[in-house]
Amino acid sequence: MKKTTNTSRWLLGLLAVGCAAGPLLPPSLSAEVSDADFNALKDLVQKLNDQVQSLRQTNQLVQQQHAQDVQQLNELQSKLAETQQTATAAEQKSDAAVQTQSQPSLRAPLDEATVNRNFQILGDAEFQYINADHQNGSFLLSDFAPIFLYRGGDNILFEAGFDTTLANNAPGSGGYTTTFNLSFAQLDYVITDYLTLCAGELLLPMGTYSERGAGWLNKIPEDPLAVDALLPGSGIGAELRGALPMGDAGKLFNYSVFCVNGPGSSDGTGNAGSLDLGGNVGVRSDGIAANLHNNPGGGGRLAVFLPFKPRYDLELGVSAMVSEWDNAGSHLWSAGVVDAALHLGPNFELKGEYIVSRYGSDDLGTINQYGWFVQAGYKLAGLNLEIPGINNLEMVGRYDSLHDGLGTTTDRYSIGGVYYVTSALLLEGYYDFINSTDPTQPSNQLILQISYGF
Amino acid sequence: MTKFTLLTTWGRTMCAAVVVSGWALSLYAADSPAGATSATNAVETAASSPVPGAAAGKKQLTGAELYSIHCNRCHPERYPTERTAAQWKTIMLHMQVRASIPGKQARLILQYLQENSGR
Repeated sequence: MKKTTNTSRWLLGLLAVGCAAGPLLPPSLSAEVSDADFNALKDLVQKLNDQVQSLRQTNQLVQQQHAQDVQQLNELQSKLAETQQTATAAEQKSDAAVQTQSQPSLRAPLDEATVNRNFQILGDAEFQYINADHQNGSFLLSDFAPIFLYRGGDNILFEAGFDTTLANNAPGSGGYTTTFNLSFAQLDYVITDYLTLCAGELLLPMGTYSERGAGWLNKIPEDPLAVDALLPGSGIGAELRGALPMGDAGKLFNYSVFCVNGPGSSDGTGNAGSLDLGGNVGVRSDGIAANLHNNPGGGGRLAVFLPFKPRYDLELGVSAMVSEWDNAGSHLWSAGVVDAALHLGPNFELKGEYIVSRYGSDDLGTINQYGWFVQAGYKLAGLNLEIPGINNLEMVGRYDSLHDGLGTTTDRYSIGGVYYVTSALLLEGYYDFINSTDPTQPSNQLILQISYGF
Repeated sequence: MTKFTLLTTWGRTMCAAVVVSGWALSLYAADSPAGATSATNAVETAASSPVPGAAAGKKQLTGAELYSIHCNRCHPERYPTERTAAQWKTIMLHMQVRASIPGKQARLILQYLQENSGR
């Protein structure tokens, strides 16, 4: 390359010298160059020029080839590095495999019951504000109620529900109290397609509210008066339950039979005021495991579920329970519930329960109690209105009544609605009109609640 | 009549009622013309899957139909995509017990949920 450049420089210099010397020569000398010689010289110069151009092009091609060679060399070096890394990793894996083979094999899971994916959390959370007549409005409730599920195979399930709430302490004492309650904890063993054995702290199927009314499931924040006052929500014992299909149209016959400790007496006596529907869990305060009375209680529910088509159905049920309740076992407590639920499409629901209860006592004889509620809801999406947000709104109303058998009668009308932000996040607002012979009851109250089901 | 006698009598009556009712309804279920009510169940979800037994004149409810029938009884329906297939298996067992759904129907609902699950 350098040689070619020198040659071209030499030729061009010779040509330049010739051209410059031409005018300086004497006319006689210049005249001695013939035309033929001049043309020959011209052709020679032209050929030399062509050779110079050809050499330049050749030089450019050589430079391009050199650049390509350098790029290929870099790529090859990069691939070589990758190959070396791969080889190193393979060597490490090989070493690890050798070590693994030399160790005893890990215990394989016996079945899918040992796999952690069978654990699941459901539940709900509520935040509530209430403003009652003649009382200060307050953020009344913060409730977190998880349900833990663990599936031990295809037919065994353990489920436990908790309820964690915050509440102000009583007047005169500072701070607040956190309560942590076990709502239910039961082991379910699905024996056949139609029969399941449940054992533990059970939600009692007295009506349907106790099993289907928790948290965000019910559209009204407060429980019906009669459900709270007349029925035990849960009990420790065992239960057989299931459903028998009636044809292929989805109709079912539901049944449940249970045996639990039953209600207890808060002070051990048989006086009417000591009936404790939520007590008697099997362990006394002195640590001794014991039913507070001699014999357990028992009950059951029979129901038919009649779907006409999806989202159109009627359910009718009857349930009853009887148990001793005082420590001496000298008095019986019993209750019966008739429940019904009707769905007419995805937008309308009507349900209610009628509850009766009676129990004997030392001081007041037989106490007869009863109450009932009827609740209706309609989702405005059924109106097909083109108003923003209206399709997420459901209007709900409920009337419930309680006669406690001790001289107090309470009637309550609840009117309000639910705004479904999503199918699981609910904004609820209700106004209660309360008529009660109990002077401590408020006459009216406003309740706002945010519910989230997960 | 003593209290214990009351309990015993009540318990026997209850058990007898359950057994007799279950037996009678099982007979009814076995003899019931399955196609009699099938027409009313041919709803919006019916087109989503072929109907087993249709060729024989019988119609069995699909998992999607059973999902619409049962889940709406207690709470707003949840989207199948909200849970994974494994999560639905555990949740469905919980619902089978809580809502007293027969095992065969529960399996059809589970199949529908898993086929349309999030992952």
